[in-house]
Amino acid sequence: MAEIKKLVLGRKVVEDLDEDQELPHELMTVNMGPSHPAMHGTVRIVLTVDGERVVESDVQPGFLHRCFEKESEYATYTQIFPYTDRLNYISPMINNVGYAMAVEKLLGLTDAVPVRAQYIRVIVSEISRITDHLTCVGASAMELGAFTPFLYFLKAREWLFELLEELSGARLTYSYVRIGGVVSDLTPDFNQRLTDLLDKIDGVMLEVEGLLNNNRIFRDRMEGVGPFSAAEALSFGLTGPCLRACGVDYDVRKDNPYLVYDRLEFDVPVGTAGDCFDRYLVRLEEMRQSIRMLRQAMRDIPAGPVIVDDPRVALPPKKEAYNTIEAMIRHFKHIVDGIRVPPGEAYAWCEGGNGELGFFVVADGTGRPWKCYCRSPSLINTQTVSKTIQGHLISDVVPIFGMINMIGGECDK
Amino acid sequence: MSDPNQTTQTPAAPATVTLTIDGKQVTVPKGTNVIEAAKKLGIEVSAFCYHPGLSVVAVCRQCLVKVEGQPKLQPSCQAIATDGMVVHTADDWSRGARRQMLEFTLVNHPVDCPICDKAGECTLQQLYFEHDNEASRLDVPKVRKPKVVDLGPHIVLDAERCILCTRCIRVCDEVAGQHQLEMKNRGDHEEIATAPGAELDNPYAINTVDVCPVGALTAKDFRFTMRAWELMTTPSVCPGCATGCNIEIHHKNERVWRLVPRHNPEVNGHWMCDEGRFTYHRLRTRRMVAPTINGLPARWDEALGHAARLMAAAIQHNRDSVGIVFSPQHTNEDNWALARLAREMWGVGRFYVGGKGPVPERADKILRDADINPNRRGVKQVLGDLTLAGAQVLGEDLAQGEIKALLVLGHDLELGPEPMERAAMLDALVVIADSEAGIAARARVALPSAAWAEVAGTMTNRQGLVQRLHPAFAPPGQALPAWEIITRLGQAAGSALGYGHVRQVFDEMVGKVGELQGQAARWGRETRPIQLRFANSRG
Repeated sequence: MAEIKKLVLGRKVVEDLDEDQELPHELMTVNMGPSHPAMHGTVRIVLTVDGERVVESDVQPGFLHRCFEKESEYATYTQIFPYTDRLNYISPMINNVGYAMAVEKLLGLTDAVPVRAQYIRVIVSEISRITDHLTCVGASAMELGAFTPFLYFLKAREWLFELLEELSGARLTYSYVRIGGVVSDLTPDFNQRLTDLLDKIDGVMLEVEGLLNNNRIFRDRMEGVGPFSAAEALSFGLTGPCLRACGVDYDVRKDNPYLVYDRLEFDVPVGTAGDCFDRYLVRLEEMRQSIRMLRQAMRDIPAGPVIVDDPRVALPPKKEAYNTIEAMIRHFKHIVDGIRVPPGEAYAWCEGGNGELGFFVVADGTGRPWKCYCRSPSLINTQTVSKTIQGHLISDVVPIFGMINMIGGECDK
Repeated sequence: MSDPNQTTQTPAAPATVTLTIDGKQVTVPKGTNVIEAAKKLGIEVSAFCYHPGLSVVAVCRQCLVKVEGQPKLQPSCQAIATDGMVVHTADDWSRGARRQMLEFTLVNHPVDCPICDKAGECTLQQLYFEHDNEASRLDVPKVRKPKVVDLGPHIVLDAERCILCTRCIRVCDEVAGQHQLEMKNRGDHEEIATAPGAELDNPYAINTVDVCPVGALTAKDFRFTMRAWELMTTPSVCPGCATGCNIEIHHKNERVWRLVPRHNPEVNGHWMCDEGRFTYHRLRTRRMVAPTINGLPARWDEALGHAARLMAAAIQHNRDSVGIVFSPQHTNEDNWALARLAREMWGVGRFYVGGKGPVPERADKILRDADINPNRRGVKQVLGDLTLAGAQVLGEDLAQGEIKALLVLGHDLELGPEPMERAAMLDALVVIADSEAGIAARARVALPSAAWAEVAGTMTNRQGLVQRLHPAFAPPGQALPAWEIITRLGQAAGSALGYGHVRQVFDEMVGKVGELQGQAARWGRETRPIQLRFANSRG
């Protein structure tokens, strides 16, 4: 292909063409999204294509911007939990936990959170990680034409959503975590139900792996597509399964253990080529590891309170709130004025579904954060798309974008 | 023989004292109490009965602090700062004492927050939240008292909630100058009460609600209407009379729910009168929401075009027969824009000033003024040395048939029935007003203007202080600020009046009006409405 020297709105200068060897052809600009089935959430990729091949691309997120960070400055510390639910909306529990950890760091409560609450947080986080990966893998397979794995995986995801719904009262927007713990204890038969479900999900995963791993079409479209070297990935700030697929074994749960992750046994899977197939395999293995962690956590979880016993941050029990003026005032002020967080700033980070999910909170002594920044892995991972799809076919954009697993709510904040 | 130099040899008493509070030194004027000195350092000592605008009684014992050299804890509201005094507010002894006082205060306090009007702005809630947050240790029933005591035309008392700080008694005594409230009974049966048969009916009665640290006293006007923490607050100036008390507009959903005084030692201190508080009801009474021509709704361009044609025809016919009525109910900027249009663009000079008539019986030496227009002084300043004719002269001129066209700002124009009929028969009667009352109802062309709570602008009170109004919300319907209507009317009549923002009007006015020179800073910063629950933190 002749070297392209000048691009003017997708048109190539005719003099640059080597007419003897190639038919005259010109570049074309194609909008992929924002309303496109493969553009999860809403993102637009302006592709400059030479025939089927992507010459240049401009990834434009932001269609789902909800002013998360600005809104947070006008909400009390507790009122921000529902906003975090809507960041990565297929693994909201991890967002809840990450945000709570940042505020607890400011309050100096990190170690005061009851052990049972820490276990519960790990359990709900790992369940959320499974739902996240189930969605990502299932949807990507569907976009490549494999509809069955999608149905199987979404069915499995639904079982977990139902379990979390039973726990928190909402199918998707849980707002289950609180500063200093979680809002309520596990339901009585949670342990049993989760154990049963994990066995079933193991089976579903085997089935889907059987359908996909040696599927010719699937492998042709995933293998060698969108490879990324470890150095490149690090320079982009890539984290999560996509980074591990490049061969870097960075996992926050291992490298900066938080909650009770240091008490659990698990492995961090890594890939070699960093292509889409590796990303797929890493995700599958991570689900296995999550299941392993869940089994250990359900075995080890101790009895005890689920929220810190500190009147500064925890609401009083309902019975007291309704019957004594002291607890009533405490309840009232917590709701209306918010938890008083001493001035300071803190960054807390955890392993989200797609990478390192961090919250940077600056407090000024009032009931609301002065600033609440979210390091959303989706936004940072999406930066790499433009680079990865360069030179690939249009049809390769779909698996590459699918495997980045950009979640609009988190990317656009 | 006395030495004539003796008096000069006596060292003059120092005007300030320096004391140490929590290890920090602070210098305050002599006579300051410790609680105010601490406030200067940013240390808030909790208090119920102490109010900076009232006398000190030290009955609540909530502000106890340790003063070195004193055998017992001292109430910081009553302890006067002396040179070299060393005060501790955060040590275990005084903190513990204050916490115990708070627990004691809560013993008989009902569990009322969900139904209490004060919830969200309650001192008791705030102090408990900051101090203690400990659970109740009470295991005996609370003392019950009457929950609904009608104290007077504006106030209801809930005796259970009362913590007996006596602020309300002192407000009546010291602000209104009428001793209408008193304590009755003893111990935990003590209650606030009026004398049998008497009412709490002084014109400053609702100030008792503002100073009440809990929800014991509630205003009938506001009670059970809106939760305090949901309200937005915007600083403004009371439009009730020439005093111009500084107020906060508390509003939500494009509607004012109450007005409360804003501290300004130059004008109103901490207080305002009840009548002023009720002025907001007019914001929702007979408002004009669309321009009208001969009583029928019209588009802005039609109405302005029609009004401009009427005025232009009258000016062309005879300049001296065109009257302009200024309004002491409108801002300086509105009047300035109108003066500029009339004088410089149209060259007419028959000026009158409208507004409500005086109410001499309302005047007292406290806050209330006989002139119930907020901006008469401003109109006079804006129009310079003109001797302004009032509504009476206008009535006479109408009767003599000297006036053929009239442009009126504001619907408050106290014309008698006969002059009003004559005005209504004019071919050109253009009225810019927020309400469809009085002369506005009789106008050929009526142009709806924004009312005082909806505009940015300034008013000048009786002392000559230029005070700023901030818009709390948008005007209803198609109403526009009056200065903008005047600008557009001028443009429709072919005049080069080109204000784009009210700030331009103000700046021009300050530059040209002698009395306002050097007052440019009075415009101040633009303020947006902030939620009341955040008003004390950072907006």
